[in-house]
Amino acid sequence: MADTSYGALLDAVRGVHWQARHAVANAAPGSHRSTQRGTSAEFTEYRLYRQGDDPRRLDWRLLARSDRAYIRLATDRAQLPTTIVLDASQSMLFPVATRDKWRLAQEIAIGLAAVVHSDGDPVGVVVHETSQRIRMLPPRTRRGVVTEIARVVGDVEPGGDAPLAAIVSGVRTPRVAIITDLLGDADALLRAARVHGVANGEVHLVHVVAREEIEPPRRAILAADPEAPVVQRLLAEQTRAGYDRAFADWRAEMARAWRASGATYLEVVTGEPAAHAVRRIVEQVGELR
Amino acid sequence: MSWLIPSALGLAGAAIVVAIAIHFIARSRPVAEPFPTARFIPRRPIQARTRSLALSDVLLLLLRAAALALIGIAVAGPMFARTGRARRVFVVDRSRAVANLDEARDSVRRLAGAADKLVVFDSSAERDASLAPLDTMHLSSARGSLSTAIAAAVRTGVVESAKVDSVELVLVSPLVREEIDDATARIRASWPGRIRIVPVRSASSDTTPLRADFGANRNDAVVAGLSLMKASTNGGSVRLIRGGVVASDSVWARGAGHVLLHWPASDTSAVWPKRETIDAIGAVTTGGATLVARFPRLWVMNGHAIARWADGEPAAVEHRIGDGCIRDIGILFDAASDVTLRASFREFALPFFAPCGGVADFAPLDASLHAMLAGAGVLAPATALIDRTAESSRWSTWLLVFAALLLTGELALRRAAARGQAA
Repeated sequence: MADTSYGALLDAVRGVHWQARHAVANAAPGSHRSTQRGTSAEFTEYRLYRQGDDPRRLDWRLLARSDRAYIRLATDRAQLPTTIVLDASQSMLFPVATRDKWRLAQEIAIGLAAVVHSDGDPVGVVVHETSQRIRMLPPRTRRGVVTEIARVVGDVEPGGDAPLAAIVSGVRTPRVAIITDLLGDADALLRAARVHGVANGEVHLVHVVAREEIEPPRRAILAADPEAPVVQRLLAEQTRAGYDRAFADWRAEMARAWRASGATYLEVVTGEPAAHAVRRIVEQVGELR
Repeated sequence: MSWLIPSALGLAGAAIVVAIAIHFIARSRPVAEPFPTARFIPRRPIQARTRSLALSDVLLLLLRAAALALIGIAVAGPMFARTGRARRVFVVDRSRAVANLDEARDSVRRLAGAADKLVVFDSSAERDASLAPLDTMHLSSARGSLSTAIAAAVRTGVVESAKVDSVELVLVSPLVREEIDDATARIRASWPGRIRIVPVRSASSDTTPLRADFGANRNDAVVAGLSLMKASTNGGSVRLIRGGVVASDSVWARGAGHVLLHWPASDTSAVWPKRETIDAIGAVTTGGATLVARFPRLWVMNGHAIARWADGEPAAVEHRIGDGCIRDIGILFDAASDVTLRASFREFALPFFAPCGGVADFAPLDASLHAMLAGAGVLAPATALIDRTAESSRWSTWLLVFAALLLTGELALRRAAARGQAA
């Protein structure tokens, strides 16, 4: 299904690499720089042999030529397991007619999964449909995992307003990509992201915003929050400027707060191709390193 | 086409204008739409002035305007008049002013059609749906009344106006002065068209000297007073009865031009209904003469008043009987009184000896009155005669039913639009 429905997207992100922001503390060999020094072929430096070092790591040739005992050090490469957390709350189902927000979030999730998989890293996905039902695919590296992720994501019907913070808190992979519109438990989610960052994890937030939310229709509408139907406000000529200002301020505050927490923050507006958004997410990491 | 209540059209038009204005300026609560970022919208009252017209609004407006128009038309009551038909109403005088009734008959027959209507009048008027009574009608000794005649003709015209588009009034009469009264001009004005006047010869005024039969009791105060009028002649056309009226008196009164004066000498000489309270009053008047004395009032006099007490109550009345009349005079005189011997009594009593219906005045109407009666212009249109208050349009019910259907459609359309917006 992924090959047919998301073929263009997967083609567009082929060859894209998503580097880890920091050295990875993981034993499994992978493509990311590891915090461990090992015996890989990639030479880094010599160090004087100290008692207790493994004699097998001695550079015997150097010892024979110079009669000095040095240990040959090499940088290890490690895997970076990644979990993609996808917000499937009711607010993602906007605009109701086109579902642009949800569709873009789906494509970004699959695009990121493809990039992670191509880097040889385990990748999984967690989608909370409702507070009672969470769809999860644990991080894997095997073939076909992107297709499985596409199937899981494609089967979800957004609804409800289940909190994302609890899901992020439960994620054990060092890298978490959260794809959300932040219209749910934004504060709790930010706290959970901080906790994850403190534990040497890296958090990437993809803030999905609908074009219609930034530029609402000119006609007067009675806007009802789909996750809180009691919230009904009149969006008309006289309230439009106030809305534009408040929404822009909130988005700026979200960006500042998330970046301050050590996470990466990227706002993606519907209409932007998902592959383009994936590249921006990946490149943003490179800029921060 | 005419309207029963034309002002309803204006009201309906105003209502449509208001409906259109409301569609442009109405403040309405917009339909709620899902909008995830609604929380960032400043709090304001949820009322918006919507100026733009959606297609559904146009349809609703058309339905509402059509329903209002139909209701207005139904209330206004459209009436589709018959065209091309006229009907005549013949008003034929048979009063004492007519010299020869055959002359009137011939005039009517020369002009009448089969469906024309007839009104025959003297002091009263009889309406008939056909011309059949024309052959059986006879000359009356009563004074004619054009007011009564025209009023009856208007009623006939109103009835006929429902069947034709115009009505012609044909007045067959000598048009003498005694047939006119103060109400004639106003009643004539109620006929909304010209009147075709067919004159017939008038009778000549009776100029024969007064001849009365007062009976033999010369000691009676009233007889004594009347005798001074020097009109007492046995076998005259006026007979005075001081006691009770017997059958032979009534038979005599039926004769042409006979006047029977029933003037009881005491309260036992008449069987008229008694007043609840018998009182006395100080004066009684006939025409222009007044007799001042103290008179007991015993009876309630019913009929055409020819003498009245000072407070306006009838003191003497006239009843028509056959071609003559009986005059009941409820004025009692004390046998010892000399009131009847005064000159004022003779002047007072003179109208009692006038012919039935009063003194005849067969002088022809002057030109201005004649022109007033004839009028000018066209025949009376049915629309002007029709009795709008008692009429209803047969289209109104169907128009209201259609308006109800439109309003039902409007409701359905409104609900469908609301459901569509909610979805």
